[in-house]
Amino acid sequence: MTAVIETRALTKTYGAVRALDGLTLSIPKGGVYGILGPNGAGKSTLFRILLGLIRPTEGEAIVMGGAIGDARASRRMGSMIETPRFPPFMTARQVLVWLSTAHGLKPDAARTSGWLERVGLSEAADRKVRGFSVGMLQRLGVAVALITEPELVILDEPTSGMDPPGIQEMRALIRSLADREGITVILASHQLLEVQRVCDRVAIMNKGRLVREGSVADLTSGGERLRLSATPMAKIMAVLGDRGTVEGDAVLAAIPRAEGPALLRGLIEQGVDIDEARWVGADLESVFMSETGSVQTPEAIR
Amino acid sequence: MSVTMLADAVRSEAYRFARDRTAVIWSVLFVPVFGLVAGGLGQMFLKQKMGAISNAQLPPGLLQTGTLDMGQTLVSTAGGLANPGLLLFILIGLSTLFAADYRWETWRLTSARNTRPNLILGKVGVAKLLILAAMIAFLISEVLGELVKAAIFHRQLAFNMSGEDLGRFFGLAAIAWIRVIQFAMLSLLAAVLTRSLLAALFIPIVVSIGQFFLMQAMPLLGWEPGDWIAQLALPGLAYDTLKALIQQGAAGAPEGVVYKAAISLILWLLLPLAAAIAWFGRQDLSKE
Repeated sequence: MTAVIETRALTKTYGAVRALDGLTLSIPKGGVYGILGPNGAGKSTLFRILLGLIRPTEGEAIVMGGAIGDARASRRMGSMIETPRFPPFMTARQVLVWLSTAHGLKPDAARTSGWLERVGLSEAADRKVRGFSVGMLQRLGVAVALITEPELVILDEPTSGMDPPGIQEMRALIRSLADREGITVILASHQLLEVQRVCDRVAIMNKGRLVREGSVADLTSGGERLRLSATPMAKIMAVLGDRGTVEGDAVLAAIPRAEGPALLRGLIEQGVDIDEARWVGADLESVFMSETGSVQTPEAIR
Repeated sequence: MSVTMLADAVRSEAYRFARDRTAVIWSVLFVPVFGLVAGGLGQMFLKQKMGAISNAQLPPGLLQTGTLDMGQTLVSTAGGLANPGLLLFILIGLSTLFAADYRWETWRLTSARNTRPNLILGKVGVAKLLILAAMIAFLISEVLGELVKAAIFHRQLAFNMSGEDLGRFFGLAAIAWIRVIQFAMLSLLAAVLTRSLLAALFIPIVVSIGQFFLMQAMPLLGWEPGDWIAQLALPGLAYDTLKALIQQGAAGAPEGVVYKAAISLILWLLLPLAAAIAWFGRQDLSKE
């Protein structure tokens, strides 16, 4: 399998903080690859290094067959890092022409209009970007990443600030880039459901390290758990030990389905008041939680 | 590939800068247009006030008689193209060109599309064009100003420019251009070091003021205009030396000083540029 990105022992430190801690990762060509992690996991640092915005402290990365900062390799990539900003006096159309020119392309009105249409900015094409909402800036950022017809696109939180229809459109666009145009898309997102829906493979990072990597199907298979809404939770956790995790007002028991009835009987005998017990399938969110030890908060899981 | 990519950097910078109307108006058009309008109004005011006064009563500087020689106007204007007023407004455009990518957080958009030295050299290329455009606009406004003066005072126009004058005109314009590019290089270095638009605007001015005072203090320091240290520390002095050479020939510049002045001008161009490229090459562009 050809890799578009390979990192070996990639490390970046800021003083005493290790934003990346010996990250070794290989991202295959084709499809949509998601990079997940809680805040501070090192996702943005990884992207910044891959795009040559910052230098790694140690380790190396090969991007599109070239070293970091290799302009020829970089020109085969498109990117949108965090909420993009643009010169406020330019229109969306002018931004695309400007960055096409920076990329060595001749201005092409049809191509520019085509991308503005694909990201849903046709009507705002000739408006100055100083009046754009965050969602519109995100859309323009995606168009900027794609205007040069790259082979690899890196998108950091591409649906941030978008309304639900916009998120759906963006998801469809990202899938079509991979499925119809053969572009490799790497995206980072906090929206785990979105990642599960759109990505083929996923890497979960925590504290600058890779903690899990694989296809979404592999990661979410075999993770069925018994969800117990019951009190007192301390008694349940005492029985389950490290097989139990608290999630909100419920406990998730990582036990085989065959052990379920026995567990429930045992808990009732111990005086546990069970309000509800049901089997739940593993989703990316639960995998993410167990791998990163994250607390489920609205900030962490939007 | 590298030359092509440098051309891409220049083209894209020029495309963007040309759309920044505020920067273009202030840096290229304001001084010539304001000068032309203010000059025209001043001439009309003068004409009105002079109605009752005979030429004999006027000081020689205000006499409005004889032929206006446009050729000589061009030569004398070329000698003053590096004037502080024009320079200040050019610096407004230059500071935007050099520092606004930090303010708008747009380095991340362009830095993945070209090499870092090319990105800086692209800006330098546009800066040179900007300075040239501002100077051409200033020259045009001066010529138009003379036409307005001729119309108001009913003076004859002439255009006398010998081959020597033409050489003088291009020589003076060229070293004035280089002199302003020196300030541009200081502005660039200030922008890259501080990431600040205001620093890019004011640091060259502060350096220039400091050099002015240093030039006044030369006798106290025991420096002679022909000394290496004076020429190297004071690019303004080097500019004056070369200007005098062009205007007056060998008699205008002390013997053996010209090459020192030329080296000084070149160093003041190259050293800030090299420092800016080196610093920019190591800069964390994710912190804008």
